Amino acid sequence: MQQKLLIFGLNHQSASVAMRERLAYAENEIVPALLSLKQRAPSLAEVALLSTCNRVEIIGTADDSVRAAEEGLLFLAHDRAVPAESFRHAVFNLEGRDAASHLFRVGASLDSMVVGEAQILGQVKAAYAQAATAGTAGLVLHRAFHKAFSVAKHVRKATFIGRGAVSLSSAAVSLAGKIFDTLADKTVMLMGAGRMAELTARSLKQLGIETLLITSRTFDNAVALARALGGTAVPYDNFKRHLKMADVVIGSLAVTQPVLGPAEFEIIIKERRYRSTFLIDLGVPRNFDERLNSLENVYLYDIDDLGRMALQSHEEREREAARAEPLIELEVDSFMRWLEGLELVPAIKDIRSSIEQLRADELERHRVWLAGLEPEERARIESMTRSLVNKLLHRVLSGLRDSHNAMAESAYAAAIARRLLCPELNLDENEGEVIADEEVTRVNAAASNEVGGENSLTELRKKSR
Amino acid sequence: MNSLWASLALTCYFASAAVFATERLRRRGRWSNQAAILLGAGAALQLVEFTIGVVQSGNLPVTNFAQSLSFLACLTALAGLIVIVHFRMPVVGTLVAPIVFIVLGTAALTMPERHLTVPATLRSAWLPIHVTLAFLGYALFVLAAGVSVVYLLNERRLKAKRLSLNDTRPAPSLEKLDRVNYHLLGWGFLMLTLAIISGAVWANTIWGHFWSWEPQESWSLAIWFLYAALLESRLSIGWRGRRAAALTIILFSVLVGSFLGVSLVTPGKHGGTFG
Repeated sequence: MQQKLLIFGLNHQSASVAMRERLAYAENEIVPALLSLKQRAPSLAEVALLSTCNRVEIIGTADDSVRAAEEGLLFLAHDRAVPAESFRHAVFNLEGRDAASHLFRVGASLDSMVVGEAQILGQVKAAYAQAATAGTAGLVLHRAFHKAFSVAKHVRKATFIGRGAVSLSSAAVSLAGKIFDTLADKTVMLMGAGRMAELTARSLKQLGIETLLITSRTFDNAVALARALGGTAVPYDNFKRHLKMADVVIGSLAVTQPVLGPAEFEIIIKERRYRSTFLIDLGVPRNFDERLNSLENVYLYDIDDLGRMALQSHEEREREAARAEPLIELEVDSFMRWLEGLELVPAIKDIRSSIEQLRADELERHRVWLAGLEPEERARIESMTRSLVNKLLHRVLSGLRDSHNAMAESAYAAAIARRLLCPELNLDENEGEVIADEEVTRVNAAASNEVGGENSLTELRKKSR
Repeated sequence: MNSLWASLALTCYFASAAVFATERLRRRGRWSNQAAILLGAGAALQLVEFTIGVVQSGNLPVTNFAQSLSFLACLTALAGLIVIVHFRMPVVGTLVAPIVFIVLGTAALTMPERHLTVPATLRSAWLPIHVTLAFLGYALFVLAAGVSVVYLLNERRLKAKRLSLNDTRPAPSLEKLDRVNYHLLGWGFLMLTLAIISGAVWANTIWGHFWSWEPQESWSLAIWFLYAALLESRLSIGWRGRRAAALTIILFSVLVGSFLGVSLVTPGKHGGTFG
């Protein structure tokens, strides 16, 4: 009865967003889902469910991982009312070492779409908490998740994977932070109601921008966006008169040539009494004349500048992620060693109780004779037998622990020792079953390799790099 | 060096400058607090030295150029520490620590064996007041110039788009640097004004006239007008940012020139020797 850690499901590398959103779970659906999963997939001894916008993954333990994965897949199909065949090809299936490594990499944000993003750890923690609430997390999952948390913390501390701005809007926001001390008393003007402009305005708004002016050639669009973002719409005809109030101007108008040139902006600078102005040009073709950047206290960044900065951060993070891999490997090693040790525990327990039982039986057999002895002599016999048991046990156990390095070897030795020393457990039958199961597992694994399975995931990973 | 305290202070300043400098080169600002503490320790050691000097001579020990420099270093370190802590700007330490190290080091190297005694006519409570105000003004102008240098460097990188968003070292925004510069100029100007007034009042009590147009007085007045103009340009026209920073640095170099010139070249009661 070897419990293996396994993870199967879909993520942004294996499935499209359309598929992921059909299978995704809302936060309050997870505990009930775990309970019914436990019923519909009896092969899963322990189970947790991680559902984010980038992944739907089932993390569990089972002795028959292939059967468990199949049951899990059918559960998902049934529970989400999606035909199993429509997403079977996108499901990846990892077990043992690979599963542990995957869980740790996910927690450390190495497997994220944007490497190093901070939300995933919280989501993994929530998945664990829900499994604990549902009572579906056991010894192995407790350990695996806690290890994943500490690995994530370690990786974040030891590398810089969380650094830098990786999107255009976050690059714009962090640049604003280099110019302005606080955004609370600043005014932002949005020229054009484009999607990127809106995103950037939203990010700035979150940082507490006080006043937001919006202008668009279609006044209704400006009004609608102003209502959505909590700003003021300004008619396009006289938006330039409002420019002197704006500390940040975001341009995303569809124009053929720049709408703002240095000559007119020089006047605005004087009216602004030389306060710094941050011009963000998201338009293609550009909204602002590039000479504006050379004006006093004016900082102009166009879409390429921002993109370059975001890319820089991206590359930096990828480099840092590579530095994190050895850390993950180390922790996986330590986790696997723990798991192997765990497999010896039941065998050792059985052997100990079996030998102890022999001793008790012998003493029981000679109870009458023992009763006639002096208390001293009785105590001596008691301690003799106990010492004999302990010495015998010690030999067996130290023999098992010696072969601890090679998992298969020690598991094999433990199985033999148990079979020889605990005949009353009648293990022979079970043993046969295990071997047969292993045969099946091997055949199934070969089959799934042919169809894709794990291989396609690794390929996808390679491609995405 | 003639004083144990001063050598200890010099060591602290050096250590502080070294730690601040390595902090700038590394990717994370972890030891800035320790560097600031070293800077403060240096200033505290100098204060001990001055207290001893006051007890021994009965007045503030600023009888020669070297002692003046030493006093200036102490005040600059203290003012710098206040800016670092109050505005949370460790970057100021990167400039202040080496400056005070160099100033105090120069003082130590040029310190004469025998100290002059303050002439009886000048021995009064006005001496520490006038000198402290004037030097405090200078210290604040040193800092203002330092902050302006940081402003210009950061501004240039921002304009040239050579900025890395991966930098986790605490970097003050341009707006903050500009505001701190303004504060420092304002306070420095106030100190300079009070120093000139106290000097005039003091002169009147000794010689019976407020003003005698000696070099230091003329220069101070000129510098007072220049700083007044700088502050006025910000208030009325709104000159700030790059232009304000550049002007602050230019004015500071005029100040340094006049300080060195008056102290070392021209005779007079400000000429360090009470000539």
